[in-house]
Amino acid sequence: MARVVIERLSKTFPPPQKGGSPVVAIGDISLEVDGNVFVSIVGPSGCGKSTLLNILSGVETPTSGTVSVTEGDSPAHLGYVFQDARLLPWRTVIDNMLYVRDDGEAGAARAARYLEMVGLDHTHDMFPGQLSGGMQQRVGIARAFSVEPDLLLMDEPFSHLDAITARSLRDHLQDLWTATRKTVLFVTHDVVEAVQLSDRIIVLAPGGRIFDDISIDLPHPRRAADPKVATLQAEILGRFEEMQPSTAPA
Amino acid sequence: MTAAPVALQESTESPGRFRRWLTSPTGAQVTAAVVFIGAWQLLTLIAPRVPSPASVVNFLYVEITGGSHGGIVTGEFFEHFAITLRRFSLGLLIGFVAGVLVGILIGLSGLARALLNDTVLVLLTMPAFVWAFLTTMWFGIAWQAPVLTVALSAFPFVAVNVAQGTRAITPELKHMSTAFEVGRSKQFRHLIVPAIAGYIFAGLRFAIIIGWNGILLSEWFSGQAGVGFRTRYWFDANRYRGFVGWVIVFIVFIVVVDRVILNRLQKRAFRWRDQSDVDFIQVEEGQVGL
Repeated sequence: MARVVIERLSKTFPPPQKGGSPVVAIGDISLEVDGNVFVSIVGPSGCGKSTLLNILSGVETPTSGTVSVTEGDSPAHLGYVFQDARLLPWRTVIDNMLYVRDDGEAGAARAARYLEMVGLDHTHDMFPGQLSGGMQQRVGIARAFSVEPDLLLMDEPFSHLDAITARSLRDHLQDLWTATRKTVLFVTHDVVEAVQLSDRIIVLAPGGRIFDDISIDLPHPRRAADPKVATLQAEILGRFEEMQPSTAPA
Repeated sequence: MTAAPVALQESTESPGRFRRWLTSPTGAQVTAAVVFIGAWQLLTLIAPRVPSPASVVNFLYVEITGGSHGGIVTGEFFEHFAITLRRFSLGLLIGFVAGVLVGILIGLSGLARALLNDTVLVLLTMPAFVWAFLTTMWFGIAWQAPVLTVALSAFPFVAVNVAQGTRAITPELKHMSTAFEVGRSKQFRHLIVPAIAGYIFAGLRFAIIIGWNGILLSEWFSGQAGVGFRTRYWFDANRYRGFVGWVIVFIVFIVVVDRVILNRLQKRAFRWRDQSDVDFIQVEEGQVGL
């Protein structure tokens, strides 16, 4: 149960060309996430979503402001799911799982358990190249859960998949999350996806400002086909269009 | 109605099958070998100093079985071959390990690249015979000369290829490893080494060929034993079938190492991708060879 505190965070990149103006990825964001919640960060391309994850994971440093990711009094242990699966192609599925955390028998048992939870217990000895894109991404998700992180960062994990595979993976993710209840920060440009998965949706606008902060109060696991989910998805999409059509996410 | 076409098919198939075999890769290889031996035999008719294939085979038989070449000179194949193989293995091991380490260093660190890249490129252009001469000047007639010649000729080919491979590792996998806090030695074993395996094999192939050339030259100039020494012995004795016989031994050695040992290792390393045989001296994009 991680606690994420972001205070007056901003990130400006140097101008891409000489004489150009600096690019503001994030402009003065303050945000707090606490407890076993699934939080989505939604916004159109270039509104600083991925930059925010990169700062949280320590890959990039903020221009000003502070972030802290803690578990109790110590720094939180992080897990990642990337846009693509990022598996080692020359290692089997099970070895890919053990690559990120191998603590003997316990590690092997945990890896097997999470592979089973994403429906891939028959793929242990297969190489990633023998799996479909959706199966590879399921391994990526199982890998992130298997390190048992305090905070799980997911960066548009379904954006490279076809619609049907993505839909089935969201259901898998819902089951996995309902069973484990990790703190999750999930970046996406897809409002519909965010509504199905999240307890809270933070909407960013271009220029890296917080545009809206929405609570979703529906029990988990939620299915894409659930009419309640569909109704809420339509309602929130409508809100975006009403508010400011030019900055509403696609 | 059904029997007749079958019989017809069979009768037309047997000459077709031979023709098909003749134009298959195996058939073409056999044809090339037959043409080569035929041309060699013809050459002996117009140039009497060229030993015939039969006399070379006969020489090799006596040399390998330890029989008498006439008088008190007996065959000494295994004695010389074992000595050279020992020196070659040691030199190759030194050159290979140093090449892999320096290559990875150049590939990973900008500073190492600035420091070492030009040196390695200069070494790459150095012909093996220069090392054979230099090491003989340094060590005289001693085992260090051939060993060092092999190591120095093999090293830059391994280093340059491994450096290329290391630079080609996708940043996404490095980023993933850093994000999951995977330790450095684990990254080395599971990410870097498998990612550059193809480049290691390419480097090793050239290292073996260049190193083998180097050891023959070194032993020719300064050896008192070994295959290079033995080749020179027959050359000095004006026994050209002995000279040619040993040249054939060199060729067979390289082909066996490449086809039997390297290809098997390579297949094992590339189980994960449906990798077909890589042919002798095949350079993939970005790999540096002869």
